[in-house]
Amino acid sequence: MILLESRKLCGGYGGSVAVRDVDLVVEEGTCTVILGPNGAGKSTLLRLLAGILPPTGGEVTLLGRPLPSWRRREVARRIGYLPQFVDFSFPLTVEEVVEQGRAPHLGPWRPPDPHDRAAIRRALERMELVPFARRPVRTLSGGERQRVLLARALATEPLLLLLDEPAAALDVRHQMELVAVVQELRRGGTSVVLVLHDWNLGLRLADQVLLLQGGAVVAAGRPEALLNEELFRSVFGVAVRLLAADPGPPHLVPVGVA
Amino acid sequence: MTTLGRDAALVAGLLASVLCGLALGGPAVGPADALSALAGHATPEVRTIVFALRLPRLLLALGVGAALALAGAALQTLLSNPLADPFLLGVSGGGAAAATLAYALLPAALLGAVPLAAVLGAAGTTAAVWWMARGPLGSSSTRLILAGIAANAFTSAIILAVVATAPPVRLPGALAITMGSFAAATPTAVVWLAPYLLVPTAVLAWHARDLGLLALGEESAAALGVEPGPVRQRIFLAAAALSGGAVAFAGVIGFVGLATPHLCRLVWGNDVRRLLPRVAAAGAALTALGDLVARRALSPVELPVGVITALLGVPFFVALLRRAP
Repeated sequence: MILLESRKLCGGYGGSVAVRDVDLVVEEGTCTVILGPNGAGKSTLLRLLAGILPPTGGEVTLLGRPLPSWRRREVARRIGYLPQFVDFSFPLTVEEVVEQGRAPHLGPWRPPDPHDRAAIRRALERMELVPFARRPVRTLSGGERQRVLLARALATEPLLLLLDEPAAALDVRHQMELVAVVQELRRGGTSVVLVLHDWNLGLRLADQVLLLQGGAVVAAGRPEALLNEELFRSVFGVAVRLLAADPGPPHLVPVGVA
Repeated sequence: MTTLGRDAALVAGLLASVLCGLALGGPAVGPADALSALAGHATPEVRTIVFALRLPRLLLALGVGAALALAGAALQTLLSNPLADPFLLGVSGGGAAAATLAYALLPAALLGAVPLAAVLGAAGTTAAVWWMARGPLGSSSTRLILAGIAANAFTSAIILAVVATAPPVRLPGALAITMGSFAAATPTAVVWLAPYLLVPTAVLAWHARDLGLLALGEESAAALGVEPGPVRQRIFLAAAALSGGAVAFAGVIGFVGLATPHLCRLVWGNDVRRLLPRVAAAGAALTALGDLVARRALSPVELPVGVITALLGVPFFVALLRRAP
């Protein structure tokens, strides 16, 4: 089943175009990884797919229906979105932030019921945050904050998760945990779209990869079809070597500025 | 202490502020006489002082205190910044400037429009501060405080111009708006304040969960189902109506809107649905007690309540500023 689809999707900020003509199909239970250099439009594409930024052209459909025809809360129940930056000026605790993930299911006044509490608990446990539950988030490290936001997105129990650089501040062990979480979600039928900077992590996780440059898709497809030194050299401006790894697919290794 | 215990302490504080306001309001009637008036046994003079003078003043202080505290809580989440306060941001100043202008210029028959002018002034200033304070990543504390300085400087200039040129017959009323005080409270003022308090409170209560989500920024809130545009507009108007209403009936009173939501967050946590009624009650109690101190500290001379809230609020603000990221 197709969960989310974009056709000729364009968008940007204040007249400047950051994303142009992106076609994307996200099937149920798949992982899509978006790669590209800084300023390629990766985060903008995620905002457009989440319906947070209105497109300037093209359209996004969720379960076959155009995104603008859904109520915002209905979208939020189905699409979980992890933004790159969140303002932690207020002293909210880890538990309070993760509880926010249930808000799309609750409406203005209904308090969380046992089912909501269980979802919050599972998300806290999955991201190993139970010992921190009562701590204010602003006292945590960057990687811990990222896990809190990921737990919030998991607590929503959406059909699709859009994650903007979820691995950026994670240590190696928690990056591996992220890989495990994404694979679990995929097995459970949840789809994941991630923006990553780590090519090999992305190629290892993805069912499909979208390579963006200057807001447009320069290559898309299964990861093994994109293992191409010349492609990555031209997109990222670095010299690249393809190194064999045993077991597993070859690794792309940057070796210098092109 | 359990939540129930904390709530009981809050209710006790509110009741204490009510009883003290009625019993200790001034030298003319002592506590024993005032309490006997409450029990229904007192001379007509004592009853007049307690019910016609102290009660409206107390009710106005409670209402304005609740309004300012709620306005502070709304502005803080609207701007995703815990340093926001109607006084510091110049929102109260904008209301006061528009109200003094209206009071000095409008014909006598239209003086009922002064509160509306205050709300419009507060709304205009909130919009201007919003526009000045927001950078690409939301509103930093520095930008917010600087925007507040600019707004306060501008509105002070308007107030000074009005005071310098107002017709002599209107001067005392115009001056009273610039000084926070409940000395001129009347039953009519209490009735007039009610819609400026109750309608915005209902709006904030309806959007309480959205307010909690907006505390982490607009993008984060939108991702969780908040329609940022319409919700922001409603909260913005509610904050302006609360601040403008407070200014119109009691003048400029600072720091209640800053300190009360913070104190309540420390005691009850950050769930805005649980927080809002407690913020309103705590703001009411603190302002009523502040007014009592203003009346009795240098008795028989009476201080404006704004002096007391500023003396207590500024150290609190400094502590917050030192902790701000």
